[in-house]
Amino acid sequence: MMKAFASKLVDLTQKNAEKIAWQWAKDVKTNLKTNSYHDAPEEKIINQASEFYKNFQEMFFHEAPFQLAEDVFTKYAHERYAEGVPLHETVYAMILMRRHIWLYAEFQTIFSAEVEHRKAVESLSRTILMFDYIVYIISREYWKLIKMELSKKEGKH
Amino acid sequence: MQAYAAKLINLIESKAENIAKQWAADVMKHNRTPSYHSLSKDLVVEQGVNFYRLFRQMSLAEVPYEEAKSFSWKYAEEFYQQKIPLHEALYALILMRRHLWLYAEFQGTFVTALEKQQAVESLNRTILMFDYVSYQVTEKYQQLTMEGVNKKLGIVKTFLMGKLIGGMKNTYKLAFMAVLLIAAGILTYYNHTAGKVVVFTHLFYIPIILAAVWWGKKGMLVPILLAIILIASHSLFLKDAPFTDDVIRAVMFIIMGGVVGWLMDSVKKLEELYEPFKL
Repeated sequence: MMKAFASKLVDLTQKNAEKIAWQWAKDVKTNLKTNSYHDAPEEKIINQASEFYKNFQEMFFHEAPFQLAEDVFTKYAHERYAEGVPLHETVYAMILMRRHIWLYAEFQTIFSAEVEHRKAVESLSRTILMFDYIVYIISREYWKLIKMELSKKEGKH
Repeated sequence: MQAYAAKLINLIESKAENIAKQWAADVMKHNRTPSYHSLSKDLVVEQGVNFYRLFRQMSLAEVPYEEAKSFSWKYAEEFYQQKIPLHEALYALILMRRHLWLYAEFQGTFVTALEKQQAVESLNRTILMFDYVSYQVTEKYQQLTMEGVNKKLGIVKTFLMGKLIGGMKNTYKLAFMAVLLIAAGILTYYNHTAGKVVVFTHLFYIPIILAAVWWGKKGMLVPILLAIILIASHSLFLKDAPFTDDVIRAVMFIIMGGVVGWLMDSVKKLEELYEPFKL
């Protein structure tokens, strides 16, 4: 059921991963709430997003999306933490990542017909659920990393 | 207010308490929000009610991002004071949004095709608000954490006399210490050659404490030097007087310098520990 409703959005995202990633990168590089991304190499951040958009389908239809998100985004959080990106900026970059999926879909008017608004609600709800998990996992990992860094230093002393 | 969002916003406002109760029941047993499990139910429900009621205010604002600030900051402060970890606070917010939507769905707020279109718009609007709140809560929470660290570091700095003589360059410290040691030597010589037994050695604790504060355990060299000066002077000029008192004083210099030096090293380590989290 879910598959039928949401496949349109997921297909579009996967097929146009590069384009959406490029739009996201353009946004994140100028957005006032994501300062740490402004000087980052464009290619690097485009890759970050396009990888995610390409894997979006798997996560979207996975039976246990939280577990899958945990595998992928634990690493993602560790990388951003190591790069020194503050948590609120990482979270906002993720919010923009989600927004750009939707913006692209709207721009392409994939949910134009009346009957398709129902699909839109379903797709949107599912997309939000995925990103809710992601934000939770990233913030939890940052918390763990800060605590780990502190105890490591305490151990040294 | 945009017409499309009015329906949902009115529902939220009129049923704030019902939605908040459902949210509280969820958040107080959810495995991703364990810190909420031990909170009082009334407190959690109140948090939810306040949030849902203020939601209208935020939705009506011309610049919702700015309107959201006062609201988000208050929540971040509450979460921080209650020692709820940030990821749990964020997940509680996520659940707040989810319950709002679940309630609207359960009430069959959006049934017809036109209403479905309104649902998409309302959903987008709601998400935008929550995105702002999530960002602001995260930012504020981190700011509060850092302020807490800075406050603690402030105490450490005061202890290290950072703003006073502790801020001096090491060359000046060494020069100042040399002056104090020479003065201590002259004082010892004067008192011992004059055969005076006044307890002038209490003044020696000034260079001993300063050396411990500045150089930690390395500053032990100063009490050792002062102990040598005292004992040497005694053996040269007070041959007939018993040694016991000055030996006890010399030992006390070393013990005092050692204890304060060890304490100051620990304080400095603490400062280093929190250094990366400074603003």
